[in-house]
Amino acid sequence: MKARILERADVPKIVEMLRQQGYEVFAPFAGRGRDTWFDLVTDENRDRIQVHLPNPYYPPKRFVLPHIERLMKIRRSNGEIQIEPTYRERKRAIFGIRSCDVAGIWHLDRFYLGRDFRDLYYEKRRKNLFLVNVVCTDAERDIGEECFCLCADTGPAARDQFDLQVMDLGDEYMVVAGTPAGEEFFANPMFRKATEAQVEKRRAILSEVRKHFKTTTSWFPATVRYVSQGNILEKTWEEIGNRCLECGGCTYVCPACTCFTVSDRQVGPNEIERVRIWDACALSGFTRMAGGHNPRRAVHDRRNRRFFRKLAHYFIQRELSMACVGCGRCAAVCHGDIGMPSVVEMIRRATAANDKLQPV
Amino acid sequence: MSRVAHNSTSSPAAATENIYLPKLAVLDRVTDDIPEVRTFYWHFEDATEQAKFKRFRPGQFAQVSLFGIGEFPASLPPSPTEEETFFTIRQVGSCTAALHQLKPGEKFAVRGPYGNGFSMEDYYGKNLVFVAGGIGLIPLRSCIVYALKHRDKYQRIQIFYGSKTPRELMYLPNLREWQQSAGVECYLTVDRSSDSWSGNVGVVGSLFKKPGVQVPVDNTMAFVCGPPIMFRFVIKDLLAMGFREGNIVSTLERYMKCGVGKCGHCCIGVAYVCVDGPVFTYEQIRKLGEDI
Repeated sequence: MKARILERADVPKIVEMLRQQGYEVFAPFAGRGRDTWFDLVTDENRDRIQVHLPNPYYPPKRFVLPHIERLMKIRRSNGEIQIEPTYRERKRAIFGIRSCDVAGIWHLDRFYLGRDFRDLYYEKRRKNLFLVNVVCTDAERDIGEECFCLCADTGPAARDQFDLQVMDLGDEYMVVAGTPAGEEFFANPMFRKATEAQVEKRRAILSEVRKHFKTTTSWFPATVRYVSQGNILEKTWEEIGNRCLECGGCTYVCPACTCFTVSDRQVGPNEIERVRIWDACALSGFTRMAGGHNPRRAVHDRRNRRFFRKLAHYFIQRELSMACVGCGRCAAVCHGDIGMPSVVEMIRRATAANDKLQPV
Repeated sequence: MSRVAHNSTSSPAAATENIYLPKLAVLDRVTDDIPEVRTFYWHFEDATEQAKFKRFRPGQFAQVSLFGIGEFPASLPPSPTEEETFFTIRQVGSCTAALHQLKPGEKFAVRGPYGNGFSMEDYYGKNLVFVAGGIGLIPLRSCIVYALKHRDKYQRIQIFYGSKTPRELMYLPNLREWQQSAGVECYLTVDRSSDSWSGNVGVVGSLFKKPGVQVPVDNTMAFVCGPPIMFRFVIKDLLAMGFREGNIVSTLERYMKCGVGKCGHCCIGVAYVCVDGPVFTYEQIRKLGEDI
């Protein structure tokens, strides 16, 4: 990968170059307090784009998998029925996507485009998406209480899957190209060749940043082993389930959750839309069949499901990546404190305690 | 996990194929089966689609679209060796209710076939024992008709079928045909009798112990389909008779939205029922660790 140096004042020019190339660019903005969001960049708001800020809770997953997405239109006219798939193929770019969310999109790629069936809707959005990753370097503003990308091995600097990666070196920025499309930007003379010293500085900053992550940790390896071996006591799942309010918040903010439901809605006298909507395994209707039979009755069965799906070795192998990227959003939004780090810790403790009773 | 059947017919979708796009189908005629259950004969508007679809395997399923209502997964009761395509559907939710309202000549849409299906070729040379309860006969009908069409490929074929009342016996013309056929032993039972019923009264499992009934255990595949409670008891009986868990197969039902392993609703244990199933051996079902 090629690295270049960019003046601090020139960083917003990346956004402008993308806009000139016809991209709809989405970038992070900040409101009061912790409130941050990705928004469409316009001439009016482009000066307020933030590079260092807490990662928005509403993940950029929606640019490849909108929370409500029309799949097709169904029209009736003169007794004839027409089914017309509706795709969105506009070029879009995300400026300022964090490394954890880059890993999230990579995971979605494996899931929606892998195996026997490819999702055309996802593919068309993904193909037209340009990612400008920003490395979290500011211990105060970038790194939150709940961040644990270190444990998920996804950050603070994404290793690949971005088109461009921007990192604050203090006086100037280092820009790395991850794809040929990203490299094309380097034709602009504002990107200068990086010196050996600057590359070394990047390395030094990254190792320093790692020390600024807060106390949140996640003992993934041990827990993946326990989950995969089926060694977790029913009691532990029940304890986790007892703390779940079944709000679905964890799945809503998760950059790696994939489940959706499909619904038809009438949009005109002779026109119906079929849409897909994010769904959540936390909700009790998720597995309920017509007639009322629900094979997953208890709350803890549903909690068990979410964490099994994310942590079982079988699925990690199947997608070649874990369905948790360590962004910490679930930990931040969960009312019952059963976000991923807490659950991993509860499982590890309970199972380790149980292990002692049964010498290996 | 190792799949019961090879996934030959739900072949990888072509790169440009939209996996969620249903194809228009026309309802030809409707027949009443038992209360609240009807059989819907249909064909695709497009003959190429019809020919493609007809390569399904017993045990596979399709997604049925009712415009403005939604989509639901439905077993395929016909055998691929039969001419007509049809669904047998119990009216239980909003989609199935809408289908029951449909008149011949009206349109709906179908996509599929999906899932692994039963690998009937792998069972050549074996005895086949079909155990069904209630509308559990719908997915097994496909295998039974298929097996009888290829009668010389199999050893003994037994059918044990039970319903709540005589009125609720599915596919009555087929049952009569199977009962009279020399190549198949077909035993029926009902939970509650009526005056006109002269057959056995009791749960399906009670048929195994009837005088004159001898269930082959060696070199036998048992197909079990029915309501959860019936499933549990039949499995217990079969295991007690000496059946190995790997020689008992069933098809699982789950809430599904996509049928192609994406929407996540049917994911249990390490399997997506829609693509890794719906056919599983009992050994696999037990390891999936969820209620039937």
